[in-house]
Amino acid sequence: MIETTVQLLATALALGSAYALTALGFVLIINAVGAVNFAHGDLVMAGGFVAVALSLLVPEGLPVPGLILLPAVLAAMALGGLGLAAVAYVPLRRAPPVSVFISTIAVGLILQHAITLGAGPQPRVGPPLVGDGLVDLLGAALSYQQIATIAVAGILCVAVHTLLNRTRFGRRLRAAAQDPEMARACGIDLRVTVGATFALAGALAGGAGLLLSNQYFVTPTDGAMFMLKAYIATVVGGWGRIWGAAIAALGIAVFEVLVAAAVSYLVAEVLLYLGVLVLLMLRPQGLFGEAEGRRA
Amino acid sequence: MTAGLSRRGLAYAALIAAAGSVLAAVGDDYALRVATLVGIYAIAAIGFQLVFGRLGLLALSQGALFGVGAYALALATVQGGWPPLAGLALSVAVPALAGALVAIPVARLDSHYVALATLGLAQLVLLAVTNLEITGGANGLYGIPPLTVLGVDLADGWQMLAVVWSGVALALACFAWVIGAGRGGRLATLRDAPLAALSLGLDPARARLLVFAVAGALAGLAGALQALGLGVVSPAVARFDVMVTLLAVVVVGGRGSAWGAVVAAMLLVPLPEVFRGLEQAYLLAYGVMLLAAVVALPTGIDGVVRRFLPDLPAPTPPPAAPKSRKISVLRVERIAKHFGGVQALDGAGFDARAGEVTGIIGANGSGKTTLLNIVTGLETADAGVVRLDAIPLLDLKPGARAALGLARGFQHPEVPAGIDVLTAVSVAAGPAAGMAALDRVGLADRARAPATALGPAARRRLDIARALAAGPSVLLLDEPASGLSASERTDLARLLRDLAATGMAIVVVEHGMDFLLPIADRLVCLEAGRVLAAGRTDDVRRDPAVIASYLGEEPA
Repeated sequence: MIETTVQLLATALALGSAYALTALGFVLIINAVGAVNFAHGDLVMAGGFVAVALSLLVPEGLPVPGLILLPAVLAAMALGGLGLAAVAYVPLRRAPPVSVFISTIAVGLILQHAITLGAGPQPRVGPPLVGDGLVDLLGAALSYQQIATIAVAGILCVAVHTLLNRTRFGRRLRAAAQDPEMARACGIDLRVTVGATFALAGALAGGAGLLLSNQYFVTPTDGAMFMLKAYIATVVGGWGRIWGAAIAALGIAVFEVLVAAAVSYLVAEVLLYLGVLVLLMLRPQGLFGEAEGRRA
Repeated sequence: MTAGLSRRGLAYAALIAAAGSVLAAVGDDYALRVATLVGIYAIAAIGFQLVFGRLGLLALSQGALFGVGAYALALATVQGGWPPLAGLALSVAVPALAGALVAIPVARLDSHYVALATLGLAQLVLLAVTNLEITGGANGLYGIPPLTVLGVDLADGWQMLAVVWSGVALALACFAWVIGAGRGGRLATLRDAPLAALSLGLDPARARLLVFAVAGALAGLAGALQALGLGVVSPAVARFDVMVTLLAVVVVGGRGSAWGAVVAAMLLVPLPEVFRGLEQAYLLAYGVMLLAAVVALPTGIDGVVRRFLPDLPAPTPPPAAPKSRKISVLRVERIAKHFGGVQALDGAGFDARAGEVTGIIGANGSGKTTLLNIVTGLETADAGVVRLDAIPLLDLKPGARAALGLARGFQHPEVPAGIDVLTAVSVAAGPAAGMAALDRVGLADRARAPATALGPAARRRLDIARALAAGPSVLLLDEPASGLSASERTDLARLLRDLAATGMAIVVVEHGMDFLLPIADRLVCLEAGRVLAAGRTDDVRRDPAVIASYLGEEPA
């Protein structure tokens, strides 16, 4: 019994840490530009495919291919985030937020179907972060991969937290997100902060994509599902609350894994969507309320 | 507006007729099927134009309601043994009801939650039809009987094309009905000027209910026609691809334009056939076109057509002043309001008497605007009493307060896009009253200009005219003189005195003392949410506490 519980929790934490990275990037963009990035899930999926493509370049037999590739995936997807900003946000920065909803839906479609055309519709396996192996914890066998996933996501979260809260640049990002007009008046270049936010969000999505691509494979149609989870996490965690969204994403994964184990994944999904509808009906401002002064 | 619309409508109808005759001349069976599909998507897209274009809500459930319509028909005919015509009726009714049910939970939601709520619903529909036994699971349902009337199979070939395009005509008529009778202006105001709409007494929940129901009915009709034409349904009809197609059609066609949606459907729906063999490469093309349209051509096809065929200036109705309203006294007492830990109002209040201008002054953050928001119902008070004559207002919705005679002008007026000045002003009254209000504020010569073409000062006047049109007994204005030139201030001052002379009670929150002091009969000075001084203007301006805290040594 206890080993099943530990096993399930480890699975949930590994999945949830990837969801948390996804939600983190999603909500950073919401805060920076006040619009939902519908392409965010497709950035995660693209990150998975970048990892798959890069892994084909690494010689066989290296012990930690995923960890070696991680910086390259982060960098490539940071560029991807910048590209998204350039085509889907910059031309529309004076248009109403709903225009950015549409333009990111368009970019998501383009990513999904361009990758389908290029790589085919079948699922691909990404590189494992570390070599195979199992650790015994309270009788449960946890794979190195699960532990490494949780560790990598944890390190990335700490890095983001440090960047946002301990650096001058992070303070600028947060200031620009909270009150763009005032930030501009204080001499902060919004082009830099918005670009950096998209790059950061892209990198986090790429990291999530790499982490998910080994155990869960990656398929070009996966994007919508990742985006929905991040969207739900953002609403549950409180619109605009960065760490609320990350924790809610973790919670969604735990819920999914437990319900899937007890009943089925289908039931988990149905309950999740029903739950978010009920939540929005009962508390239109989200479970924990919106962050102060946040408008979208 | 009507004349210009019919002029563009004629041009669109001619284009569609031309395409139809080309089809009749050279079209094969295959072209016929594609033309039928174009019509089917046009019907659902016209519905989406109402929700997304007119109401401004990204309701991503429209594609799923298409699927609900298709499955309702299939379930009724295949599983229930209903005749196809009855099934068709059901598949209009069920999505209409579903749309209305969607509207209830989203009625209070901000737009970023509407997208998620409707996306969640769409997912649930897809999961249901894919996994339930009664819907045939992943295989769907086969053997939908043909729609025959007097022995003629209407679900085939040219008959089907005629049925579908009659449906398009019906959808266009529905669209015209929904935006008719002044509703177009009200929807635009709800979409672009939500606060003004609330304080004018427009009901967003009712508008959403109507629009979602009609949009759902049209989506369902389209889905049912698709199912009838093919004779089968599969979960593909409820997939997100349908939604994406509708979104692309609506954006490329031009947000809010039903005819534009029809023409965009003619362009986009045949694309999957062009890309046949390349799986879903057409969706890549949709993505590119959607992005290009939203970035480079935000007004879509209809915006381009409108440039060449602009609305002919419609005649303006003769002005008719609204029925004279009773004379009222507004009493606001002991209002308290806190935001988080900040006590914004701490027992503030004022009286506004008929025929007088009451000025509310005070430093930034002293609670002036919050007080106006509480009186008009945009914010709730923690404590206190507001009475119009003897009627307590605080438990009433903003619309009910407007109906009793309260009207509100805003510091930063929101102005709806896509409608002219007169339409924008007439949303809470009628065109004749709107015209009279425009006369009052000196905007009558711009009655048929697009509302968004007005400059900042004229927008302020539009906002005041919009408030005046319903004939309020109390008018509350928030910094009406800020940003106005000296001569505009003089005009505004004269207007407010004239309105007061008709017996209206006027409340003005204002920083510009040179503007306010000459016109105000009484002043209320707020400090930190409390009344520092109140009384006749001359008394308050000489009050040592007011001078010390706000006016300074040399009041203007």
